[in-house]
Amino acid sequence: MTATWGLRCPRCGQFDLVEFALSGKGVVAAFTLQNVPADEFVNDAPYAYVLVDLDEGGRISGWMPTVKSDGDLAMGDRVHWVVSYKPGVQFEKDATASVASGR
Amino acid sequence: MTREAWVLGAASNRFGKMKESGREAASRVALEAIDTAGLAPKDIGYTFVANAFGLAERQAHVGPLINTALGIPEVPSCTIESACSSSSAALHEAFVHVAGGFLDAALVVGVEKLSHLDTLTATSYFTIGADYPFESHNGATFPGLYATIANAHMKRYGTRPEQLGSVAVKNHLNAALNPHAHFQKPITMETYLGSPVIASPLRLYDCCPFSDGAAALVVVAGERYPNPRTEPLVIKASTRAGSIADMHDRPDLTSLPASQRAAEAAFRQAHVERSQVDFMEVHDCFTIAELVALEDMGFFAPGEAGKATADGITARDGKLPVNPSGGLKAKGHPVSATGASQVVEVFEQFNGTAGARQVPKTNLALAHNVGATGSSASIHIFGRR
Ligand SMILES: [Zn+2]
Repeated sequence: MTATWGLRCPRCGQFDLVEFALSGKGVVAAFTLQNVPADEFVNDAPYAYVLVDLDEGGRISGWMPTVKSDGDLAMGDRVHWVVSYKPGVQFEKDATASVASGR
Repeated sequence: MTREAWVLGAASNRFGKMKESGREAASRVALEAIDTAGLAPKDIGYTFVANAFGLAERQAHVGPLINTALGIPEVPSCTIESACSSSSAALHEAFVHVAGGFLDAALVVGVEKLSHLDTLTATSYFTIGADYPFESHNGATFPGLYATIANAHMKRYGTRPEQLGSVAVKNHLNAALNPHAHFQKPITMETYLGSPVIASPLRLYDCCPFSDGAAALVVVAGERYPNPRTEPLVIKASTRAGSIADMHDRPDLTSLPASQRAAEAAFRQAHVERSQVDFMEVHDCFTIAELVALEDMGFFAPGEAGKATADGITARDGKLPVNPSGGLKAKGHPVSATGASQVVEVFEQFNGTAGARQVPKTNLALAHNVGATGSSASIHIFGRR
């Protein structure tokens, strides 16, 4: 499993890579609150840069503009991909179970 | 097949903010290193340059400019790029050529000038060294990438902010005694803990500064210089290794496989044990990086380096001095000059010219230099004749 561009598996060198669709859902493996951003993200700081363990396997880099403080996110939180005009792979926290069922 | 290669001369300018251009600073330290070695420029057979962010000065292909300035325009040169490990990669090339019998003397020059850029521009330039579309384009900066390592390390091993802080306090204390250092002022734990968060959990004082700087080394075949005028560093090992480029694709966030691989290879090549190492310079671009490096190279068990640092084991007067120069953290991190400058520190320690920061034992030393988030790593082990 790899989440970058490649022609072989970076872990085992196997060449019959298969592309498959992702649900975009997963769990936060690690994150940081970026107070000092790079230029493309300057209007969204602070935001979280996240490593997400996807439900289908594999880990991917993404970011979360709605996370504005360390307390807004924790390792193990469930997140999902959202469509955005902004760069990169953007995630949002899942709504809590009770809120979700109330809708 | 191979013969002994030595570092016979070494020089560095003061890191920080350079008024002069990169080519000028590089040429000056190169000449100083050649002088120190007791050689003349015409003795140099090849110039290996490291200048990863030269384009920030609108200048590429700086090797011929340096050689021209040294009066040796006929000498070949090339630029070696391996992000923050560029000049240790250049040293490795010099080693391979000299030990392999293809050159008798080679010049290694690392230089970077970025201080004319503002923080936003410099931060953005640096993100080019990561996987740009897959990491940087998701908002990761270098402090951010190392912050996720710190985040995972804290979660897995219980590493505490005060342990990261003890790396910063130690390295600033050492840099205060280093005339080459960018920062020459000690800091307290209170200052560390009170500094603003750059990328949580990393604070301002967890991060190395953006520095200008230049450092140069002269690498020679020992057999050609029977009466060296300096105490040469015998290159006992020169190894490099790589890791999966993207941190998110690696099985473990709390270690850099390239450091582990380069260390294993280095100790095999040098035929020495870790317990024989008297002191070392390690890649502490962020405080967490020093802890991970010490664990990856096998000097401490995973998760133990923070406690060891807080206990003073890696202090200048401790059992295993780490970064007596002040490290990237406080001596400064002019990207492509860093790897060579680590060796300048080893050279000064071996020659007894390190002044107040002299460590007690200097028979075997190690220098560890990382490119980006450990997608590249270099290790050199140095001994005496
Ligand atoms: Zn595989």
